[in-house]
Amino acid sequence: MRWIEKKWVSVSLLWIAVLCIWQLGAVVYGPDVIPGPWSTLKGGQELLADGTLTKYIGISFYRVLVGWVLGSLVAIPVGLIIGKVNVIRIFAEPFLNFIRFIPPIAFITLFLVWFGIGEQSKIALIMYATFFIVVLNILTGVMSVEEDKIRSARSMGASEWQILLHVIVPATIPYIFTGVRIAMGTSYMAIIGAEMIASNEGVGYLIWNSRLFFRTDWIFVGLFCLGFMGFFTDRLLGWFGKKVLFRYGVVSVAGKRR
Amino acid sequence: MTLLAKQNAIHIEQLRKSYSEPSVGDVHYIIKDVDLVIKGGEFFILLGPSGCGKSTLLNMIAGFVSKSGGNLRVNDVEVNKPGRDRAVVFQQADSSLFPWLTVRQNVEFGLRMKKTPKEEQRLISDRYIRLVGLTGHEEKFPKELSGGMKQRVQLARVLANDPAILLMDEPFGALDAMTRRTMQKELVNIWRETHKTVIFVTHDIQEALLLGERIGIMSVGPSSNITDIYDNSLSYPRDVASQQFYNLYNTIQGHFEE
Repeated sequence: MRWIEKKWVSVSLLWIAVLCIWQLGAVVYGPDVIPGPWSTLKGGQELLADGTLTKYIGISFYRVLVGWVLGSLVAIPVGLIIGKVNVIRIFAEPFLNFIRFIPPIAFITLFLVWFGIGEQSKIALIMYATFFIVVLNILTGVMSVEEDKIRSARSMGASEWQILLHVIVPATIPYIFTGVRIAMGTSYMAIIGAEMIASNEGVGYLIWNSRLFFRTDWIFVGLFCLGFMGFFTDRLLGWFGKKVLFRYGVVSVAGKRR
Repeated sequence: MTLLAKQNAIHIEQLRKSYSEPSVGDVHYIIKDVDLVIKGGEFFILLGPSGCGKSTLLNMIAGFVSKSGGNLRVNDVEVNKPGRDRAVVFQQADSSLFPWLTVRQNVEFGLRMKKTPKEEQRLISDRYIRLVGLTGHEEKFPKELSGGMKQRVQLARVLANDPAILLMDEPFGALDAMTRRTMQKELVNIWRETHKTVIFVTHDIQEALLLGERIGIMSVGPSSNITDIYDNSLSYPRDVASQQFYNLYNTIQGHFEE
């Protein structure tokens, strides 16, 4: 193997190249338009020193996590029931397909009116962002359970409830997992929007508020934090899926090579 | 013997399955006016070309497909839904086995649904896993098994529920020729050991002659019917090279050459 094909060599070369281009951009356009790596680092240090960055990350993360967990917990049984009961599905499907085109951000004002300015409205927004994606994924999952599996369970004496619990749920787990994983991404998008418009804390607030001081370096810090938060939670989720849910056919998307 | 033969017998009279074609305003029959009596403990073959409705007939006996007319009684009870007394072995093991369960858990599925005590489940699954020759593979998942082994799991899984009737829908159709031969021999042994009624669907004349006591020939659809029934009293294990086998083969072959 040639030395350049070693993974750590190629990855570090890539990152060095990215940093160089970034720095070049900063030099050409000036640090106010594109803050370079060094000034971003300084900005980050500044925000870390007075504790705002850690606090903001914690707050945004808390909102996403609570809303995402609650949203998923509501969505999983709802999705299973809609998928399993034909009558409900016939009524629910047009509604689901209508509402899924309305992005969470569009609801911010309404949610503020309905749930108040506090945490509730943000968490409700994340729940909204999570709910429909998870439900629609579960629906696809339930619909694609092979007829033979249900038939064989039925002829082995399983009741409808046992079929739901012992056949449909386990067969749908890969779809549920994909659903909650995608929902995690949309949750981050929703919370940043909400924090930009209606919050005094959080990473979204940091990004939005920095414009007042023209601190583009702080904006860069916010963007990096978002990227890392999403990256780590997704990796954690992927790892969990691979370790715990492998028998249900959950595969890690990130780790898969073709 | 006569008592046993009456038990678990299947009586089919003027059985029909139709579907209406709204565009033509016409009624089409998949099978029409099928009359058939299958004795308890008999190994019966349904032989016919693809699309002749033999799977439909099997699915009707299983209770998966409702009838459009006529009578269908198992053990003197009209069939209207799947039941524990009629086990189905599907053509595709991949779509009917539960991939998230181990071989043992798959075999114990019906018993678990019935809430059989754990120790008893274990004893029964051990017995049938041994019967189909899968001892040592209990803790494997279906995806770790070959096609033939998966069909053995299916067989053990239905036998564990101790059904009176085994309905088999081309179970060896997807196997390679050598594995198929082994499976055919073992199925005959299992049948002779357990005295189940077996209805076996196939389009392979040789398979039909190797396995069955009686062979029902189904005509090409639509409005398919059982046109002829052949007795095959050759002793098991059957010799493909024998003169009687050859003669019977030619007679049946003649049906499909018109």
